[in-house]
Amino acid sequence: MKIENIKYLLPTTFILLGIALNSCQEVVSIDLNKADPHIVIEGIISDQPGPYVVKVSMTGNYFEPSLYFPPVTDAQIVLTDDNGQRDTLKESDQGTYLSTTLRGISGRTYSMSVVSKGKIYSASSFMPAKVLIDSIYAVARTGFRSEPGYDIYVLFKDPPEPGNYYRLNAKSSTLIPADSIDGRRYRLYTDKLTNGNEMTERIRAGGQVQPGDTITLELLSIDKASYDYFSTLRDILSSDRSPTSLSPANPNTNLSNGSLGYFSAFAMDTKKIVLK
Amino acid sequence: MKKQSLSIQLIILTFILTLPSVSQNRFTLSGTIRNGETGEVLIGATLLVKELPGVGVTSNAYGFYSLTFPEGTYTILVQYLGFKTRKDTLNFNDNRLINYDLTPEPIKLGEVVVSGERSNANVTSTEIGVNKLEVKEIESIPVLLGEKDILKTIQLLPGIQSAGEGSTGFYARGGGTDQNLIVLDEAPIYNSSHLLGFLSVFNSDAIKDVKVMTGGIPAEYGGRLSSVLDIRTNDGNNKEFGGSGGIGLLASRLMVEGPIVKDQGSFIISGRRTYADLFLKLSSDTTLNRASLYFYDLNMKANYTLGDKDRLYLSGYFGRDNFAFSNTFGFNWGNTTATLRWNHIFANHLFSNTSLIYSDYEYSNTIGVGTSQFQITSGIQDLNFKTDFQYFTDASGTVKFGLNSIYHTFLPGKVTSIAGSIINNTALENKFALENALYVAHEIDMIPGVKVNYGLRFSAFSLIGPAHLYDYDEYGNISDTLTYGSGNIIKTYVSLEPRLAVNILLNETSSLKTSYTRTTQYLHLLSNSTTTNPSDVWVPSTNNVKPQFADQIDAGYFRNFLDNEYEASLELYYKRMQNVIDYKNGADLQINPTVEALLLYGTARSYGAELLVRKRAGRLSGWIGYTLSKTEEQFDQINNGNPFPARQDRTHDISIVLIYNHNSEWNFSATWVYNTGNAVTFPSGNYWLDGRLVPYYTERNGYRMPAYHRLDLSATWTLGPHSNLNFSLYNAYNRMNPYAINFQQDPNDPNKTQAVQTTFFPIIPSVTYNFTF
Repeated sequence: MKIENIKYLLPTTFILLGIALNSCQEVVSIDLNKADPHIVIEGIISDQPGPYVVKVSMTGNYFEPSLYFPPVTDAQIVLTDDNGQRDTLKESDQGTYLSTTLRGISGRTYSMSVVSKGKIYSASSFMPAKVLIDSIYAVARTGFRSEPGYDIYVLFKDPPEPGNYYRLNAKSSTLIPADSIDGRRYRLYTDKLTNGNEMTERIRAGGQVQPGDTITLELLSIDKASYDYFSTLRDILSSDRSPTSLSPANPNTNLSNGSLGYFSAFAMDTKKIVLK
Repeated sequence: MKKQSLSIQLIILTFILTLPSVSQNRFTLSGTIRNGETGEVLIGATLLVKELPGVGVTSNAYGFYSLTFPEGTYTILVQYLGFKTRKDTLNFNDNRLINYDLTPEPIKLGEVVVSGERSNANVTSTEIGVNKLEVKEIESIPVLLGEKDILKTIQLLPGIQSAGEGSTGFYARGGGTDQNLIVLDEAPIYNSSHLLGFLSVFNSDAIKDVKVMTGGIPAEYGGRLSSVLDIRTNDGNNKEFGGSGGIGLLASRLMVEGPIVKDQGSFIISGRRTYADLFLKLSSDTTLNRASLYFYDLNMKANYTLGDKDRLYLSGYFGRDNFAFSNTFGFNWGNTTATLRWNHIFANHLFSNTSLIYSDYEYSNTIGVGTSQFQITSGIQDLNFKTDFQYFTDASGTVKFGLNSIYHTFLPGKVTSIAGSIINNTALENKFALENALYVAHEIDMIPGVKVNYGLRFSAFSLIGPAHLYDYDEYGNISDTLTYGSGNIIKTYVSLEPRLAVNILLNETSSLKTSYTRTTQYLHLLSNSTTTNPSDVWVPSTNNVKPQFADQIDAGYFRNFLDNEYEASLELYYKRMQNVIDYKNGADLQINPTVEALLLYGTARSYGAELLVRKRAGRLSGWIGYTLSKTEEQFDQINNGNPFPARQDRTHDISIVLIYNHNSEWNFSATWVYNTGNAVTFPSGNYWLDGRLVPYYTERNGYRMPAYHRLDLSATWTLGPHSNLNFSLYNAYNRMNPYAINFQQDPNDPNKTQAVQTTFFPIIPSVTYNFTF
């Protein structure tokens, strides 16, 4: 292009209006349907000493939660393994059932059956070999624009064969178990992209922890069904939910007959650290 | 495959050449219709013979027309919206080649512009479910942050809905965002968005013509179920050098064009870049000043006319988005296309265009922190050969036929570990496929007043080795692994797609139209989100993934008023789609070799009525569109197998667009949109589990978001003959439209639950400076 062909170029100016694309959040009131009460079963078994707990309850209305949703009493609950062990659970508290003699062992498959009001709900779960935490350490974190806190590192070695799934819980001595040290209730890992590697996971704990707190880290080796359950549970818990996520749905349960909840066998290794 | 295609093509050619031959005393008038000031060819201009009612022709996508009629002396009328109608006396006693140059209509100061004769092409054509947009309209309509954008403008037409506020993704008559064929100068664009969906990749400086088809899709288009968006770019001024540009809050644009050889060849280059990142660099915050957030795109085109019968075009598009925070997180994606086209005129009534097209979409994403950093890349690449013929028969009919062959390379995903990371390098196998199509369509006046366009598209899709594929049992576990060598044809799907459109002309100003369209889609988009995302992955049909089909019938009443000043139409449609895809809950779609086991197949149907009243000329122009529709999906594994409303099921959808030329200095425009809220899934209950309250869902999409509405205003102040300032106000009455509603435990009281609404776009003013030189 020849420069003489440009007739003239007008001076260009522009006004920049300061615009901040700020999102705004507000609590709104929404009319929700009242769903018919539905059974919820939460059962675990681990390689730790029992008793193992199975809780049975019913759902309630969304905007009328209470600390205590209707428990399901007088259910018949039996835990068995693939080695012939069998344990009938005893109701200790309303809706809470405890095992009596059973002891979880890695490598076995456990089954749970719950009979309530003429319906049978069952599930089974495999208890994987325990993966040990090699070490943990904490680094006090300061820095520009990042709030003070600790980076807690957890090291463990993923076994050579693929198909390992983990759940990592981080608890603090000064918080109730439901409160997390970093805003996340639990972390899930799969070895899909890291099979056989030395794993280093970082937990960025913020203002909820103080020097002197004892942090307990629990590494649970879980089976694929449990991983699927917890990852689809995480998908619908709003703190992790993106506004463009696909339609939410009830987590992928391993329970039969339409029950909500899960039955999970896991092998757990625990390590503690005192923050300095 | 190839041999078969050739022989079918020969049969069609023979068929066409034996159509009624030119009798004595009948001659052919042919040529190109152009803008006399710039030499740009005009698409869809009409040429009428005044003395022969009903004899006329419309120029094609390359401005070419051909019309055969008896000898005599006639008055020829050549019309195009926004141009002075040209009236020529023609002493017609021989085959003639005439190129018509039209002069743009001047904008007269302070008086009502009286257009000459207006075309009633919308009433007389067989096109149904088709809308055209003038670039002028796109430029006048206010948009978010002043960045004019065709993908946002078409969302204001009935039958087309936005995929989300500020999003360039769209739904056409209940179809998904991946069911739209978007072609830029004949090259398919696989991801049409910049800035994570807020702007489209189409720079309106480069655009000449936009046509969007949601029903009655002609046989020359195929490969997507729900719509075709055909975008043609400018060829460049072949008379003199010039250019234009704009400086906006988000991006700046510059376009230059000019002749290569006067009246014979021209070029155009237009580019665009955002500069938010330049301001970030000024920040003292190390997180911010190391961030990059920009996109750019470049459209280039050159054409050259070789004699009366041949014209060559070379065009390309290149665009990239870069979005990164220091070195911990980054997105990078973009499209590249290149098109070489050759127009050739055989005799004077057979027009051909042959194109060689390369098209590429590539995405890479760096994610993870500390020791778990890695990069994911994926994409799709096409080599595309296309040849299209248009035969102008006697009796102002046309036959279109052609073939298209695309070689697809799919890169479903590759993970590259970043130094020191615990992530293993992994790659999913690339997949290869050949997509072929042959079509023929004939438009003819069956009897006076009844025009029919009937056509057939034959498409075939073959998955080609090398590949390792899996068979799955009912639980989604691998039951068999199948290995195929290089070049092996693994699986072929074929489809016959009839297309039919009928126009019954009631009188000069009204008509009834109807159409039937079958479409087939062999490529599927896997997406983790409800909006278009750069990380969405295109996958082919395989042994497990079946092609999607759609059947649509459409009927409409078209009526023009007041000497064609007002166009109105009412269309009814019913569309059924098969093998549409959804996912199992929690499906892991990225870097998953067994992703096909996580797909669900179902049906969808959409039906509705669309009303459009449009005024295309005069001081006040614009349209009112209203759509009443219903879209439902059904999957055996979702919602207990019961049909449920699709997310994009919006019962009412209203768009009002007004453009007002006040005087030579001031132009104003306004748009107002209203639609029923999206169908969404909200919880209907609650339970305690693992120490937290968990929402309980009972049905898919059983709830509605609040209705969405918004008013946008824009004013353009012309500073002089070569520049203007545009002021716009997005969401002028500051409606807090919810982007999302989340349900959560009350952070202050974990025993309570609440619904929290997020709004992204309050009132947003902006200013853009535009200039030409």
